[in-house]
Amino acid sequence: MEKGWGKMWALMVLLLLNWVSNISSLSVTVNEVECVYEYVLYEGDTVSGNFVVVDHDIFWSSDHPGIDFTVTSPGGNTVHNLKGTSGDKFEFKAPRSGMYKFCFHNPYSTPETVSFYIHVGHIPTEHDLAKDEHLDPINVKIAELREALESVTAEQKYLKARDARHRHTNESTRKRVIGYTVVEYVLLALASALQVIYIRQLFSKSVAYNRV
Amino acid sequence: MFFGGRAVSLLPLILVLCLTSNSNILPVAEALWLTIPSSGTKCVSEEIQSNVVVLADYYVVDENNPDHIPTVSARVTSPFGNNLHHNENATHGQFAFTTSETGNYLACFWKDGSHQQDAELTLGLDWKIGIAAKDWESVAKKEKIEGVELVLRRLHGAVEAIRGNLIYLKDREAEMREVSERTNARVAWFSIMSLGVCIVVSIVQLWHLKRYFLKKKLI
Repeated sequence: MEKGWGKMWALMVLLLLNWVSNISSLSVTVNEVECVYEYVLYEGDTVSGNFVVVDHDIFWSSDHPGIDFTVTSPGGNTVHNLKGTSGDKFEFKAPRSGMYKFCFHNPYSTPETVSFYIHVGHIPTEHDLAKDEHLDPINVKIAELREALESVTAEQKYLKARDARHRHTNESTRKRVIGYTVVEYVLLALASALQVIYIRQLFSKSVAYNRV
Repeated sequence: MFFGGRAVSLLPLILVLCLTSNSNILPVAEALWLTIPSSGTKCVSEEIQSNVVVLADYYVVDENNPDHIPTVSARVTSPFGNNLHHNENATHGQFAFTTSETGNYLACFWKDGSHQQDAELTLGLDWKIGIAAKDWESVAKKEKIEGVELVLRRLHGAVEAIRGNLIYLKDREAEMREVSERTNARVAWFSIMSLGVCIVVSIVQLWHLKRYFLKKKLI
């Protein structure tokens, strides 16, 4: 009975500690401010993630103004702050447990779509090992392995979001090359036709004058 | 967290509740919280490949009045506009589907007409795709593995997912490189052609005007 409890307890703890927070990378449209909340279970957990501004219409200038990213702790302090960026990775150690607020602020009127990924990772410390005798040192190693794999997955999600943005730019370039060139040809032909018509008109008047 | 010897036996039960419960008693650690505005919809989307399992769970979080929880409506649409899930006036719900096409999947939530107060609503969303949506409990039961072996099996699944993602990114990069190179060739070709069009148009102009002036006996 005791052994059964011990095994179940270990399994529960493993399940909770290793797969406490696993989230997919979602995209949200930021009009002015968009906030997302994520719960951090333990103090000292590493909160990591990334975000990329995916959908934005560049027209004239290629300098994207960027969006601001702020992380607020449950106590109200700003834990992390990024200004005027069109995509970045972030990582910080949570000073306390609780509900953290991740906010995107768009200073411009055009809505932007932001694709973000947030991961809260917990690795059992020596303190946790000392407190609970069912926690094996192997759990620490497994947790570290798990966190390393999570960081690879996070990097992949970042690359995927950046690739989506690059693809958007490429598609826009392709459409512009075709569209603007055809319009250019048509306008050129039109301009020369107008020129010819104008010259004809000029000469038809002066012929009338010459008759006099 | 560890209150004493007697409470220790209750802790696995609490942990089970944490992992499986959808109620508002304990905060579910796995979810993301969004705020639904009092008017308008809040949409989240993700670009997903085809043949991927999507499993999502949403619930209203309201600590202010636990006896009168506001309700939300949800709609999930596929990239081609098909309605995958539609639910009205619910405090919680879930949907699961396997994607049939690659594209942007959109999940929209809005407040119900009967609860049009000024306060914003907090919605918890637990969105899992691919390997994260895999039901490991049933795999553990079916193959009778547990503990460290199950953990390592999950890590193996995660590594396979990483490899799959890497191949996908590689294919996408190759596709994009092709588009870039084609665009580059087109820019060169169209620019030279524009010079050609310019010359042709000016020759036509001169020819037409010369013919016109000859006809009008001006030259």
